[in-house]
Amino acid sequence: MASRRSLGWWARRLLRNFLAWVAIAFALFPALFVVGTSFNPTNNLSATRMIPDRPTLVHYRVLVRDYPFLTWLGNTVKVAGITSVVTVFLCALGAYAFSRFRFRGRRTSLLTLLLVQMFPQTLGMVAIFLLLNTLGKHLPWLGVNTHPGLILVYLGGAMGFNTWFMKGYFDTIPRSLEESALVDGATPFQAFVRVVLPLARPILAVVVVIQFITIYSEYLLASILLKGERMYTLSVGLRLFLGDNYRDRWGMFAAGAVLGALLILALFYALQSQIVSGLTGGAVKE
Amino acid sequence: MRRIPAVGTWAKGGLLALLDALVVFWCVLFAWDGRWAFLALTAGGALLLNALLLSRRAYPFRYLAPGLLFLGLMVVYPMGYTVYISFTNYATGNLLPKREAIRLLTEREIVPDPPRRFPFTGYGTPGSLYALYLRGEGEDYVLFPDGRLSAPQNHRLVFSDGVPESVDGYPQLLGRDLFPLVAQLQGRRIPYREGWLRLATLREFGFYLPQYRYDPAADTLVDQATGKVYTPREGRFVAPDGEALDPGWVETVGLANYVRFFRDPLYHGAFVRVFLWNVAWAVLSVAFSFALGLALALLLNDRGLRLRKVYRSLLIVPYALPAFISVLIWRAFFNQELGLFNQTLFSWFGVKVPWLQNVFWARFSLILTNVWLTYPYMMLVSLGALQSIPGELYEAAKVDGAGSWRRFTHVTFPLLMISVSPLLIGSFAFTFNNFTLIWLLTRGEPVVEIGSRAGATDILLSYAYKLAFEGARGNEWSMASALAVLIFLIVILVSGVSFARTRALEEVSRGL
Repeated sequence: MASRRSLGWWARRLLRNFLAWVAIAFALFPALFVVGTSFNPTNNLSATRMIPDRPTLVHYRVLVRDYPFLTWLGNTVKVAGITSVVTVFLCALGAYAFSRFRFRGRRTSLLTLLLVQMFPQTLGMVAIFLLLNTLGKHLPWLGVNTHPGLILVYLGGAMGFNTWFMKGYFDTIPRSLEESALVDGATPFQAFVRVVLPLARPILAVVVVIQFITIYSEYLLASILLKGERMYTLSVGLRLFLGDNYRDRWGMFAAGAVLGALLILALFYALQSQIVSGLTGGAVKE
Repeated sequence: MRRIPAVGTWAKGGLLALLDALVVFWCVLFAWDGRWAFLALTAGGALLLNALLLSRRAYPFRYLAPGLLFLGLMVVYPMGYTVYISFTNYATGNLLPKREAIRLLTEREIVPDPPRRFPFTGYGTPGSLYALYLRGEGEDYVLFPDGRLSAPQNHRLVFSDGVPESVDGYPQLLGRDLFPLVAQLQGRRIPYREGWLRLATLREFGFYLPQYRYDPAADTLVDQATGKVYTPREGRFVAPDGEALDPGWVETVGLANYVRFFRDPLYHGAFVRVFLWNVAWAVLSVAFSFALGLALALLLNDRGLRLRKVYRSLLIVPYALPAFISVLIWRAFFNQELGLFNQTLFSWFGVKVPWLQNVFWARFSLILTNVWLTYPYMMLVSLGALQSIPGELYEAAKVDGAGSWRRFTHVTFPLLMISVSPLLIGSFAFTFNNFTLIWLLTRGEPVVEIGSRAGATDILLSYAYKLAFEGARGNEWSMASALAVLIFLIVILVSGVSFARTRALEEVSRGL
């Protein structure tokens, strides 16, 4: 009887592992296909194979040399980097005020913020486009088809949720630590910079990375605001680059996809547990 | 006890004073130029800044102001502006204020019959034009560069061969000296009789009549040649026979844009179709990806599974990749001739599936791709929730004789839903507006109805995007804005209902 039970146990265990590997195959095959085909000498999607006979780096070389791929990647990193760093600083400031000060209008401001962040910024696309169009007539560096303009738009979109998110974290940091700093004669701002911010470093990192990943993948607003080929971010550029050219650009696209995904993949796995807890706590990544 | 202000406070005060001085200077400049909007903006901003930095009551707002500024400019203002546009007819063809449109229309000209031309000669010194002499077959004029017309008898003229040699003592200019000076008069309309004179070529002026005349009392436009009367209708001047003049102008139209989504056959069918698919899309995507995610979470939630950490890390790869890259890859897989799926299916079974060409298969492809993209999120969420269910509950159920299926349906699933359902609703709201996925995979195609902008897989947001930015009829800003407002109302409705529901669920969990 003991041996029969253990047989069933073994069978169930085998089945579980088998199912897990089936799921993993489903999860990984697109990525593996792209990595494999990026080293395959052909540029034709229908002729390429996942495991190349003669692996080559030619697609990487041509993509970087003959197309503005690195410009797109640079634009994206610049826009996403600046946005996420400024976001985290401004949201920390706001979250600190909401968490520590009691002032008239606090409750109303918090509720308004909650309501406003339910409005997906993309729904305002027409107004944002027209606003930047007008802005650009007076301040050309801030108009349509400029990176500062796009950053401005992204910054606005990032404020609501992240302020709330960080306020929740600041509420969990005991006040006693700042209070001793305040007794020693520090201003509230000094207490914020020297005591609270260092304690909040983990959440700051999470917000920066989630924000970076979100902006990195943003498509809609970038596609309506960026018009020149050299201004594109990666999402806009790669889509237009591939288009329907599956016969003569697949290998290069695959190389671009690998390069474009590497940074995000590395960031994600480096901060995996923090990001996952942040995202499953209500943040939705795209 | 009053503290003596520190050096820093003095420095701050000094900087603020300096800035204020600069602002005053700018404001004077703006007032001088008559740029009142700039003046108001600068002065208002400066006042706000001073209040923030000087008032003790406003101290917390010093922390909030920068964030609120961006939020206000790029979220709140666009929100309000979108609502405003949705109540107007703002679109290609209706972009100008009314008086601008009237000005452009009344500047349209016709050549009178018979046409009249005025060849001219110029007088002055090289580099400086004194006057032109216009010869109009017995009706000659002296024209000054500021547009003043004068009769020849008012001037001292010395003629030779019917052309003056000098005007008021200024000699005739040679062609090469004259042309650059005359070029400055290009486009200038000099009022003459019931029309105007304007440079027709570099050697002669022409006489033109306005095609339309505006009657401010009746607010009508009258065609001078045919006598046709155009009355304003829906932002354009329209003749009784239905002919409408471009450009039109911007005006508020009340709820007309919204009504069109429910009445106008051009938009109504598309709106209903897109809305239904949009709901189905979000529901099915979330349901399937949650089912898969939960199944995998149950699979991994077995402590006997030795590689579960590794499995988990591998299974969340789709979530870690930038979505736009994954979607472009999936689009390639679905390609009818060259894609991986059809190549495999063809070599094994000799069939090809029209993945992105057929309505059903295009929708299937979208949902499949989205399940692949989002099941890791569902798995992570479910894993977290599963681990928070107390083990005693299972023991109790086991004692009561419940089998593993009954334990799942009666203990695990209900408890799981309490913590997971708010996230499912968030996920629904996100999927509902997941433009990137739709746009990069199918672009809303295939086309189902000739003439309509919306395809079979368009969601409301991508339909709005098409109306606004991709139109065959130009930019339908107002219709796109009205659609955006409708989407927002739907989002609010879903969030409101779900908020009420989740509160109810929380109460259930407290009762346990």
